[in-house]
Amino acid sequence: MLGFPNGSGVGGVGPEDLAQLQSTMRAIELACSYIQINSNPVAAEATILSLHKSPQPYKACRYILENSQVANARFQAAAAIREAAIREWSFLATDDKGGLISFCLGYVMQHANSSEGYVLSKLSSVAAQLMKRGWLEFTPAEKEVFFYQINQAILGSRGLDVQFIGINFLESLVSEFSPSTSSAMGLPREFHENCRKSLEQNFLKTFYQWAKDAALSVTNKIIASHSSVPEVKVCNATLRLMYQILNWEFRYSKGGGTRASINVFSDGIRVDNALARKTECVIVQPGASWCDVLLSSSHVGWLINLYSSVRQKFDLEGYWLDCPVAVSARKLIVQLCSLAGEIFPSNNAQMREQHLLLLLSGVLPWIDPPDVISKEIEEGKSGSEMIDGCRALLSIGTVTTPVVFDQLLRSLRPFGTLTLLSMLMGEVVKVLMANSTDEETWSYEARDILLDTWTTLLASMDGSGGNAWLPPEGMHAAASLFSLIVESELKVASASATTEDDADCLASVSAMDERLGSYALIARAAVDATIPFLAKLFSDRVARLHQGRGTVDPTETLEEVYSLLLIIGHVLADEGEGETALVPDAVQSHFVDFVEANNHPVVVLSSSIIKFAEQCLDAEMRSSIFSPRLMEAVIWFLARWSFTYLMLVEDCNLGSNQLQSLPSRACLFTFFNEHNQGKFVLDIIVRISLTSLMSFPGEKDLQELTCFQLLHALVRRRNICFHLLSLDSWRNLANAFANDKSLFLLNSVSQRSLAQTLVLSAYGMQSSDASNQYVKDLMAHMTSSLVDLTNNSDLKNLAQQPDIIMLVSCVLERLRGAASATEPRTQRAVYEMGLSVMNPVLRLLEVYKHESAVIYLLLKFVVDWVDGQLSYLEAHETAVVINFCMSLLQIYSSHNIGKISLSLSSTLLNEAKTEKYKDLRALLQLLSHLCSKDMVDFSSDSIETQSTNISQVVYFGLHIITPLITLELLKYPKLCFDYFSLISHMLEVYPETLAQLNNDAFSHVLTTVDFGLHQQDVDIVTMCLRALKALASYHYKEKNAGNLGLGSHAAGHTDPNGVFHEGILSRFLRTLLHFLLFEDYSTDLVSTAADALFPLILCEPNLYQGLGNELIEKQANPNFKTRLANALQVLTTSNQLSSSLDRLNYQRFRKNLNNFLVEVRGFLKTR
Amino acid sequence: MSDDEHHFESSDAGASKTYPQQAGNIRKGGHIVIKGRPCKVVEVSTSKTGKHGHAKCHFVAIDIFTSKKLEDIVPSSHNCDVPHVNRVDYQLIDISEDGFVSLLTDNGSTKDDLKLPTDEALLTQLKNGFEEGKDIVVSVMSAMGEEQMCALKEVGPK
Repeated sequence: MLGFPNGSGVGGVGPEDLAQLQSTMRAIELACSYIQINSNPVAAEATILSLHKSPQPYKACRYILENSQVANARFQAAAAIREAAIREWSFLATDDKGGLISFCLGYVMQHANSSEGYVLSKLSSVAAQLMKRGWLEFTPAEKEVFFYQINQAILGSRGLDVQFIGINFLESLVSEFSPSTSSAMGLPREFHENCRKSLEQNFLKTFYQWAKDAALSVTNKIIASHSSVPEVKVCNATLRLMYQILNWEFRYSKGGGTRASINVFSDGIRVDNALARKTECVIVQPGASWCDVLLSSSHVGWLINLYSSVRQKFDLEGYWLDCPVAVSARKLIVQLCSLAGEIFPSNNAQMREQHLLLLLSGVLPWIDPPDVISKEIEEGKSGSEMIDGCRALLSIGTVTTPVVFDQLLRSLRPFGTLTLLSMLMGEVVKVLMANSTDEETWSYEARDILLDTWTTLLASMDGSGGNAWLPPEGMHAAASLFSLIVESELKVASASATTEDDADCLASVSAMDERLGSYALIARAAVDATIPFLAKLFSDRVARLHQGRGTVDPTETLEEVYSLLLIIGHVLADEGEGETALVPDAVQSHFVDFVEANNHPVVVLSSSIIKFAEQCLDAEMRSSIFSPRLMEAVIWFLARWSFTYLMLVEDCNLGSNQLQSLPSRACLFTFFNEHNQGKFVLDIIVRISLTSLMSFPGEKDLQELTCFQLLHALVRRRNICFHLLSLDSWRNLANAFANDKSLFLLNSVSQRSLAQTLVLSAYGMQSSDASNQYVKDLMAHMTSSLVDLTNNSDLKNLAQQPDIIMLVSCVLERLRGAASATEPRTQRAVYEMGLSVMNPVLRLLEVYKHESAVIYLLLKFVVDWVDGQLSYLEAHETAVVINFCMSLLQIYSSHNIGKISLSLSSTLLNEAKTEKYKDLRALLQLLSHLCSKDMVDFSSDSIETQSTNISQVVYFGLHIITPLITLELLKYPKLCFDYFSLISHMLEVYPETLAQLNNDAFSHVLTTVDFGLHQQDVDIVTMCLRALKALASYHYKEKNAGNLGLGSHAAGHTDPNGVFHEGILSRFLRTLLHFLLFEDYSTDLVSTAADALFPLILCEPNLYQGLGNELIEKQANPNFKTRLANALQVLTTSNQLSSSLDRLNYQRFRKNLNNFLVEVRGFLKTR
Repeated sequence: MSDDEHHFESSDAGASKTYPQQAGNIRKGGHIVIKGRPCKVVEVSTSKTGKHGHAKCHFVAIDIFTSKKLEDIVPSSHNCDVPHVNRVDYQLIDISEDGFVSLLTDNGSTKDDLKLPTDEALLTQLKNGFEEGKDIVVSVMSAMGEEQMCALKEVGPK
């Protein structure tokens, strides 16, 4: 007996035992007090730990719990019961299991009024954990006994304290059963999942019902009394429990149970959570069976009533809003707002609306009238209620359509919910405007929640086809809110004009981008009003700039114009993100009254901005108005705008078809096309770009915006290229690029981008010859300058001069830009460009061996050039390129193998490491590109005539650079990726060459594969698995054909000391099996892993058999033993799997492995 | 480029020790003179003077000889001095007792005025390698009138 026979006390304890127990108790008490005063904590912890670890400490624990005066000691005793019982559970007698739980429960109920709450909650949670541990063993009758006790407690028959304890216990129980909050027990995942399923299907609703009943039992007292009563504590606990139950991630509510299988491949918890938290509002979907508890029993009405009555009673006491019970009640109300799914019968839409209406009417006093409430809050009232009100609106918005949302309020107020939302947010924006401190106040939080609400409502509308607009009143609400928002943004902007830019600028830019995106949605909901409004604001500010020119400090107005440009850009156009950005539906379908382009509000607004931007061409205007920052906004706007509106090709930028016939839309579309104003505007844009590149020296951000966003976006559109080449301004840009010294001063990435852009624009030439000639002329200066330099007899000294280093870097960047722009039309010219600098490049590699920055540029140029060219080249050209790459690799490695930097500075040493890493990555890319010649080849001669064997070349290259690659370097993710993609490709395509490698190189490659298998990155693991598959299947096929295959590498060998070393395939079979059975990985990997495992098993059938038996032997549970044995059997036999490596068999094995893992991982993997 | 801008003429011995270069063009990994010292740039960041002012560059750099950290802020359109850093490889022919090395120059003469590195581990490696008879190449870096050994490399046994 363990001291816990049901019902008996300490009676059976003999005198010696008693002495023993007392001394244990004293020791624990002493240890606890030592920990508290922090005297020799290590020894004290050891004492406590020894209690936790001692076998069957229950008697001692019980003695301590019942007799100790030290609360901490009792706490530790409770913890020790948990530790020991979970550990020894399978040896305990059934009576003892139940006895332990009863003891814990009995204890907490007996001591319910104790002041040491933490001891009680600990015991509660111990009871909950033990209950879960025994959940699948206990008969329904046994559970019934426990729950009867709990139910009695919760009903309140044994007093308030016991009632509280009962609710508290259920809270612990629910959290134990929920996967994200459960404690580890060292049990299979399957166990946890079964518990969760059982609780969800059989108990959760009952618990909720109990909580409701308990709450009802105390409600009257709370409402009737005039001061705080103890019932409040119980009430709060019930509200918390209800909230927690609704937070349960319901999985078994759907009839079909489609989601009911567990994800055996990863713990799943983190992923689920991450998804749920992304939207601020979690939708509650408990399923149809919950209808009676939550909806038809006037539960919501009771809750609202409870909150409002108590709120009224404590109206004068401001603190009440932040009381726990008030907070819990509001949380539950907000949560009920997001109720959705099958709980609402599909044939009864009214029920749902009534539910929401009821909630809204309850929430309304928190937020309406907005002006009064915001004033109260500013005068010191707590803002938490109002913020919860906003959350409730967000929840309602999430589960309804805008029209339903707006309609809800109409039965209570003369206006719709959208108007209320607009008024509320307007109030919040006003408050934000008034106190522009950096402090995070309630208004920030409220603004973000309300903005989310708008986004949720409007975005749902956006997806539904574009014809559903807000009701007129809603539009009006959106328009007035938008004007308030713009006003406040401008005010903030002008106020910030004088403050210095901070370092956190970048973070706030992306936050602002997101915010402006939401504002744009609001503006587009009412374009008829908002676009003319923006046009007026813009022309006002521009007029102000002109008036004050030279006399008034323009900074504040500049900042306002800056903000306006960003806002207008967001409203008029979406970010393309590589796709063609459509003209927003709202802009296309509105303004039906405007048939003349000159009056179309969008045309008016766009034209006024372009006209303003054009003024930067004038030097005087530039110096007085166009600051670098303003130019950035101008360029940003032009890029975004031109991508959506400039020279649209009909049928390409069109939205939905019904809109096509609108005349207003046609006039908007044709105004900026090539027959109308398009060419004129394009010319202005190019001239502005050139100005921003030439006249703002050293403004890196501006230059990058111009090159990457604006110019690059232009040449990506083919029809625009044709027009660009006919423009004088574009010719000027190209000329300046080739000849003007000031463009040599651009930032290096901008140089590259500009070269790329110009080469891409050659597409607009009439013929391929003309395109090639254009590129040739463009780049001739660059190539000849490199050739001249390297022909100089004093190159060695000359090259070290800083101005020459700069020139070389610049030219290399430009060559790289041009190389990366290779297209079929210009391929010839780019090839010849590279050909003419081959020798100079090798010379430079030699003379700049100590100037790593130049070396890197040089390698990157070669990488991009080879990548662009190789697939087009004929055999003799390929040979030239390959020889060139080989020389490059040899020179590089001869400079770098065995080189030691003597620098004393750790920073410089680290820099040197990073530089080396970047170089290596470039070289790996080069090898990968060379490999691609075997795959993609557009040359005219057939593969047979190819004089060079690519695989030999790449293996040779690998030989040169593998000594430079260390496991340390593979920790850089990008390098790791490049390396393994090369390796897996090599092994898949040329496994035979690997077998020829010498021992050192071979084992080096395989060590890295082993390393790669243990990486987190799915892509890396996939590539390693593919490499393994290639290796094993090669060996198996060769063996079957009577060849050597991998030979001694696979067979293993005995070293001189007589120790046997396994062959590599055996090693990998072990690793892979362990990986599949015991580690966490994504499901995506299973098929690839199956493809690798199958040939490995075929290669090493004996080892596989042995490993399988070993695994079965390890299982203690006989049930699991048989299951595992069966599963292993099925894995290799079912689905008519045979031992040939063909497609069909691979497919079968994939299926088998998947079933196998689903079957066994549930119990092999423990938590 | 117009023709008169780039004459690749060799600079003679008395050529300037530094060259002007626009601050916006000096990159991480490049060189710069700060407080009269030749440095290697390890960090460049740009910021603006006031909202609507011009960009300026903030350099963090390491003195290539003393390894001291130096910082500077320069408007990005202004010029900075960039040191002319020269590196020459020599073959190591002897290590003398008094802490100096003897190097073989390209034209066959010897250069005996360079000190051994101070780092203990490197020193041992250098000495061991030399005693084992390995061929060792020493890179010597010079800038603004100073010089120092900066790297060494074993090119294999003799």
